[in-house]
Amino acid sequence: MDKKSKRLITLTVNGQEYELATYPNRTLLEVLREDLSLKGAKEACEDGVCGACTVLLDGKPVRSCLLLAVEAQGGEITTIEGLSGNEKVHPIQQAFLDHGAVQCGYCTSGMVLTAKALLDANPKPSEEEVLTAISGNFCRCTGYNKIVKAISSVKTDREGGH
Amino acid sequence: MEKLSYVGKSVSRKDGPVKVSGRAEYTVDISLPGMLCGKVLRSPHPHARIVHIDTSKAERLRGVKAIVTAKDSLQIKHGFVQTGRYPADQYPIAVDRVRHVGEEIAGVAATDEWIADEALSLIEVEYELLPAVFDPEEAMKPDAPEIHPSHPKVMESFKNVGGKTETSWGDVEKAFSQSYLVREDRFVSHLRTHAYMEPQAIVASYDHSGKLNVWVSSMGTFLKRAKLANTLGLPFGNVRILKTYVGGAFGGKVDLFNHEYIASLLSMKCRLPVKIVYSREEVFKGARHGQPLIVELKTGVARDGTILGQQVRTINNSGGYRGSGVVIIFLAWGFLMAPYKIPNLKYEGYSVYTNSLVRCPQRGHGAPQMRFAVDSQLDMIAEQLQMDPLEIRLKNGRRPGDILPNKDSAKNFGLVQCLEEVTRRTGFVEKHRKAEEEKKNGSKIKRGVGIGVCSYFGGSLIYPNSSSVIVKLNDDGSVSLITGAVDLGQGAETVLSQIVAEEMSVPMEDIQVYAADTETTTMDIGSWISGLTWVTGNAAKKAAEEAMGKLLQVAAEKLDADINDLEAKNKEIFVKHAPDMKISYKDAIALSIQKNKGDTVIGIGHFRTMKDEPNHPSLATTKGRWTENYSSYAQVAEVEVDTETGVMKVLNVTTAHDCGFPINPMLVEGQIDGQVSMAQGHVLYEEVLEDKGAVINPSFLEYKIPCALDMVKTDYIDVITEEYKKGKHYDTKEVGEGYVAGTIAAVANALYNATGVRLNQTPFYPHKILEGLRQIEKKTTPKSRH
Repeated sequence: MDKKSKRLITLTVNGQEYELATYPNRTLLEVLREDLSLKGAKEACEDGVCGACTVLLDGKPVRSCLLLAVEAQGGEITTIEGLSGNEKVHPIQQAFLDHGAVQCGYCTSGMVLTAKALLDANPKPSEEEVLTAISGNFCRCTGYNKIVKAISSVKTDREGGH
Repeated sequence: MEKLSYVGKSVSRKDGPVKVSGRAEYTVDISLPGMLCGKVLRSPHPHARIVHIDTSKAERLRGVKAIVTAKDSLQIKHGFVQTGRYPADQYPIAVDRVRHVGEEIAGVAATDEWIADEALSLIEVEYELLPAVFDPEEAMKPDAPEIHPSHPKVMESFKNVGGKTETSWGDVEKAFSQSYLVREDRFVSHLRTHAYMEPQAIVASYDHSGKLNVWVSSMGTFLKRAKLANTLGLPFGNVRILKTYVGGAFGGKVDLFNHEYIASLLSMKCRLPVKIVYSREEVFKGARHGQPLIVELKTGVARDGTILGQQVRTINNSGGYRGSGVVIIFLAWGFLMAPYKIPNLKYEGYSVYTNSLVRCPQRGHGAPQMRFAVDSQLDMIAEQLQMDPLEIRLKNGRRPGDILPNKDSAKNFGLVQCLEEVTRRTGFVEKHRKAEEEKKNGSKIKRGVGIGVCSYFGGSLIYPNSSSVIVKLNDDGSVSLITGAVDLGQGAETVLSQIVAEEMSVPMEDIQVYAADTETTTMDIGSWISGLTWVTGNAAKKAAEEAMGKLLQVAAEKLDADINDLEAKNKEIFVKHAPDMKISYKDAIALSIQKNKGDTVIGIGHFRTMKDEPNHPSLATTKGRWTENYSSYAQVAEVEVDTETGVMKVLNVTTAHDCGFPINPMLVEGQIDGQVSMAQGHVLYEEVLEDKGAVINPSFLEYKIPCALDMVKTDYIDVITEEYKKGKHYDTKEVGEGYVAGTIAAVANALYNATGVRLNQTPFYPHKILEGLRQIEKKTTPKSRH
């Protein structure tokens, strides 16, 4: 592709601002993984069905495999690498560990970020609300049971002052 | 019972923090300087002769660094099974003929994906099309096109039979003649896939010292090394498989795959790293899927439900090459004979070549197909005898200590206890009876319960099926655990750490695991054949014991105490009756170095199942012992069926499992949950659809796997039949595979209990359930006369 067709975009990723020159046909997932070496978001279906590539754009979960990087121009992006800030792990990540909600781990980044967006919008979700929120994030290992328990436990912890 | 500190506890995964933080490096994440993108040219035809390949145009394309075809290859065949009877039958790049759509013909390495794709389109292949066959029973007919000659030892006039398993005991004809009831049914299991989330992926980097470094999403790095080295003609020591995290496998990442060979060959040709990552479409169209299986089952029972004899014929569709086809027809026999006593049996299994994709193991490898057949039919028999499904299973279930036909022992077999406990917990008998009564009432929504069982070998005796583990103490008293085991997500590194922590009284956080690197870790069979916790676990146990023995010896001398009076806790050794007399591990190691000629305290452990037996049982005759441990379990599924739409939901599955002794109950539950979910998908809606050998639903949009809204609620009962004692060999059993089988059988029986619809072919699509309901209506509605 002609090098001249690159566009300059600004993305804030995990609190840090990046100015990037990228072709307009590249997805946000490609830019995050290849240009910024943030590889927590994964590609697994290329159709936007499985949710392994989920990142937060302005606090909302998006499929980074379907979103072009240029469309995210000016946006604030949180990837799994930035979720815990300076803490070792975020309470949601801790809940996943405590409840055995992680097996192979390939879907985990997307699943945790979807849970983050859910709990930010709705700190006390019902089981049905949890299931609906994560229904676009496939997990082949766990059958979802322990993931739901993990996410629901974060709600309980919050009530206790998290 | 001895108090345990780490084993038997639901401790958090060792690799948890790195996974939840997105920092676990999978093969797809590996990036090396100068790395090229590799792509594979595949056959669009199910069966053809390759007349000519012209790569010249592609070679001239800017950015193309290497192209390989069969002429670059040593043309050494490989196969999942490579024995005298079943020699390897597949070239790692097609030489002169392709036998399935998607067969690998050439590989390209280029500076980016787009150039690689363009290069593929520039390779010209001239084919001479050959007649093809896709159905295994069609392929067996004398006039079918020949894909491979039938196996020389198969005497019948069938075509395309790649292998046969044949065994019998007792007198089955006599058993049938003495039976009160004989049933003959045919069950068909469909083509479904693993749907591991991480696609097939490999990075191969051949360096200038003549070494091939490989990162690959796999279930066993030592197996990959052996097969890559053999086909590439390299000494094993020149091939190094390095550890990566593995994004799920479920049977689908064992064996050598041709794209892995191609990536390696490309790298050897251009001396640059080459990465091949499958798209999801390519996984569906080019990777190996699970095994469809036809099971013809004839069973004779006495009036009281006792099985007197069974005659079973299985037919597998192995695809264009043998793959694991000759294994599944053997294993299906094993899953037939283990749970229930069968005094007289005649078994024949045929593995048949077709022009479909090659098949590979998939979680359960024959168990789901066989248990679906046997436990469906057993419910039909029970109904005819007016028995309940529990009663007939209790009547036939093996008891602890039963000797199996292959001379294995079902010692400590927990099946009967599992049956009793799972039915008690779920109120099965009452619910089953109630559903029978409510079947005929007018409600549109029907509920039902069903039961399924399975029994599974642990760490079967197939070469090498051994493991060595090294436990190395660091001079601060912390431990390095070195193992060839692969953690696919099942928690191998965690359970091995728990065992070492227990044996050495070292906290979990003081154990570092170094795993799955063929150069720096010890040989291990890998994470398949359901033996890791037992085989590698016992090796780890022995390694820890040896290291601990050395520490205790040093401590005994220092503390002037009898070694038997010493106890260890939290990296300290003290005298039991005088706890103030103690020495830290750190000091004991220093002392060992000083007193024992520099011995830094290293323990080595090995383990192999059944050390006195030959290498493996016969795939042809089933003769020869197989394993020392059989797990068993009983599962109850509760379903809801909308009789207007035919849609069935699996509401919950309760599992009573005898996995021996659970090292980590939370991980055990995770395995069961995953299998219940996978079984639900397989039995309700997951199906790989082929048209003339080409997959026509190659995406997660067209091949639905269960999402969270489909979640099946699970409950578990742990039937513990083995003990864990420090310093002693321990027995534990399989937990990672067989529950798919129990669940599918339970769902099939629950559907019948809810609606009266008996389906002998999976998956249970709504239209099939509706058709079943229509048939029942036809039978029960009296015909009116005009």
